[in-house]
Amino acid sequence: MTRSSSPAVERSWRSRLWDFCDERLGLAELLELSRHKMVPQHAHSFWYYLGGISLFFFAIQVLTGMLLLVYFQPGPSAYESVRRITYDIDFGWLIRSAHSWSANLMVLALLAHMFSVALMKAYRKPREFGWWTGLGLLGLTMTFGFSGYLLPMDELAFFATKVGLEIPASVPLVGPLLAGLIRGGPNVDANTIQRFFTLHVVVLPVLFVLGLTLHLYLVQRHGNAVPPGEEAKPDSTRRYIKFFPDFFVKDLAMWLIALNLLGLLVCLFPWQLGTQADPAAAAPDGVHPEWYFMAPFQLLKVLGSWLPGAVGELAGMLIFAVGGIVWGILPLIDRSSDHPRAARFGTWFTWGTIAFVAGLTAWGYLAL
Amino acid sequence: MNYPAWDVPVIGSGLVIAAIAIFHVMISHFAVGGGLFLPMAERYALKSGRRDWLEFLPRYSKFFLILTGVFGAVSGVGIWFSIGLASPEGTSSLIHNFVFGWAIEWVFFLVELTTAAVYYYTWGRIPDKLHLQVGWLYAGASFATLVIINGILTFMLTPGQSWLDVAGTGEEPTRFFAAFFNPTYFPSLALRTLSCIALAGVWALVVGSRIDAQQHPQLKTDWIRWTTWWLVPGFVLMPLCLFWYIKMVPGSQLELIQLGISTIGTGTFTQVTRTLLVSVMASATILAVVYLAAYRKPVDFQIGYALAILLLGVAATGSAEMSRELLRKPYVVVDYMYSNGVRQVATGTQEPRQELERFNTAGYLADTIWATPDEKSLWTEGPRTAPPDSASPAENAVLAQGELMFRGQCLACHTRDGYRGMQRLLHERNEQAIRNILTMLHTPQEDSPYRAFMPPLAGTGLEIDALCAYLDQLAHPPVAPAD
Repeated sequence: MTRSSSPAVERSWRSRLWDFCDERLGLAELLELSRHKMVPQHAHSFWYYLGGISLFFFAIQVLTGMLLLVYFQPGPSAYESVRRITYDIDFGWLIRSAHSWSANLMVLALLAHMFSVALMKAYRKPREFGWWTGLGLLGLTMTFGFSGYLLPMDELAFFATKVGLEIPASVPLVGPLLAGLIRGGPNVDANTIQRFFTLHVVVLPVLFVLGLTLHLYLVQRHGNAVPPGEEAKPDSTRRYIKFFPDFFVKDLAMWLIALNLLGLLVCLFPWQLGTQADPAAAAPDGVHPEWYFMAPFQLLKVLGSWLPGAVGELAGMLIFAVGGIVWGILPLIDRSSDHPRAARFGTWFTWGTIAFVAGLTAWGYLAL
Repeated sequence: MNYPAWDVPVIGSGLVIAAIAIFHVMISHFAVGGGLFLPMAERYALKSGRRDWLEFLPRYSKFFLILTGVFGAVSGVGIWFSIGLASPEGTSSLIHNFVFGWAIEWVFFLVELTTAAVYYYTWGRIPDKLHLQVGWLYAGASFATLVIINGILTFMLTPGQSWLDVAGTGEEPTRFFAAFFNPTYFPSLALRTLSCIALAGVWALVVGSRIDAQQHPQLKTDWIRWTTWWLVPGFVLMPLCLFWYIKMVPGSQLELIQLGISTIGTGTFTQVTRTLLVSVMASATILAVVYLAAYRKPVDFQIGYALAILLLGVAATGSAEMSRELLRKPYVVVDYMYSNGVRQVATGTQEPRQELERFNTAGYLADTIWATPDEKSLWTEGPRTAPPDSASPAENAVLAQGELMFRGQCLACHTRDGYRGMQRLLHERNEQAIRNILTMLHTPQEDSPYRAFMPPLAGTGLEIDALCAYLDQLAHPPVAPAD
């Protein structure tokens, strides 16, 4: 074989493979579509990466979750199986810690994504459904976290779940029924683990993938929104980069950085396992739900101690219900820059929500 | 005899040393790698007639001079200061064995500092060829400091049988070269050299990210791409060198890595595996991040990405240094001196016997300067038990003796209530359980897992009783009676 003939053979082989796939999968169309997609470049472009980072952590969740399924046993032997994963099986601790840490990082990335979207007014027309599907995905992620937290069935998980279920139980009228339905009985026990496990590995993933598909479709359809300050600039001064390959490779770099952050947390602060839960024992001091449920938990706790009887819990539920509804319909209130009062309300409501949630969370931890 | 002087609350002296050392390594390795980078960049600029590079390089060398000359030198002194306080016996042993090596290193260090200053201040003032020669001189002097310090650092992990044969006899200097060119010397030198070259690239990327792409697009593009190549040798060769290094580490020390694969235990015992994993992951991904974020489109490369890459470099380098330190457990110098400063081998030439044996019979605190003769006389009053509420002077003396034991033999690695805190580790154990642990550490069995990472506890029965009483009180502080 001569030197000059080798590249020609290689090109031809690649070309044939490309044609084979393209004819069947329509790759050329996809490539053309991605080449036309542009991403705005401005001072706040960093926030565009948070959606991708959240997706990356979700992928880690799926991968590590599948590996944990190989050894995890729901039901009465849940604790023992997690103990084996953590202390006996090679690199079991690594997979479990990666699963737990990436869950927390995913919630953190989603919250940052949601607030950045709100501050950039990316919920305005025509992106309302993107906002709503995003809120749905955040809700599903937090439910993922809540249902997964119980599965090791150690002391902290058990009592934190009991405490956490006080939130739905405090819903007027249907609360006790709802909490009983979630628990699978009057108490948190093996039945609850079975229910949470089913929810965690079957129901929620199906709903999440459906919601994610719709969300990504909407992002693709409407593109990235620009913040109002950037929107006011003339077209000629705005900068864009191609989604593929320019933004995409930067996204990959971000994912690698996120992977390293995850690895650092996993290795330096591996997830421990507490003592096995004893339902007959008294709850240890300072039991609290995961950090992303701390704000409602603290509000209920504080109002419950300030106001008599069930009034405190009712007031707490009311505040969160009204706040949540306003948060959800924000795109219908703040619809465009043409309504400055509504725009100002949207901005202040977002900052107020951030301060309220962060303040209650910090207060909750300080009060432990 | 250890001098239990340095009591760093919450974080412990070990973490203070680690923080200073990682900061120092990031800069000192840059000083070596950057020493090669600067004359090579200047040579490239001169050969290819790049005036923009020649205008940018003095700015870069100013950054280099300030970072290495100020922060590198100060943090280097900080390491001396902190290891001298945290492990006086270990530091003393190293000085006695390698004083001549250190003297040579300081000569090269002086040459390094001088040439770095001359290199910066003579840009455009002396002929190009002479200026370049100053750069090469700097590169040679800075590499020589690495060549020397590497021998002393690797000695602590693998002192070599030749040196161990004479350790404690006063004949150690006769085995200087055997100790210096010890089994891990060359693989470590290869690893550190590759790390220096990679860090030169990382720091140059940080500086390159600040080049204004609107004004100097060509300079930014070429600089970023040229510096990216400095990470490639490390990426390709480090796995091979790491394999070589691990092959030279004694099997007994590698057991710690295996332990961390199968379990996290309580976390403390498996740190070496976990830090090694961080190092491998960060080293394996940093080049990909550089390619994706910098090399593909240099004009878009901003300081945020550059700092992220620098932090990856810190993670890779810092965790590698931590792994190397943790791999030595439970020794300061493997097979010679434990992390609590107690020697494993014979000491002195007049009565050669194990230091451990002497402490167990004559007492660990027999020579301590931290107690008055009156206090010492209280220690010998016969058997005592832990006081329920610290009442009598004798009972207080027991606790004081126990605290001295704690400072001397535990404080090098543990704190009272912070990092590796005794309160957390012992609060679920009663006095008998604490005593069982101390007995196990005092006379460890061959199959005891603690042998791999904790030194034997030295002292007489009374001293161990006193330590037990102190730890019990530390783990279960007396509750003040309710009013």
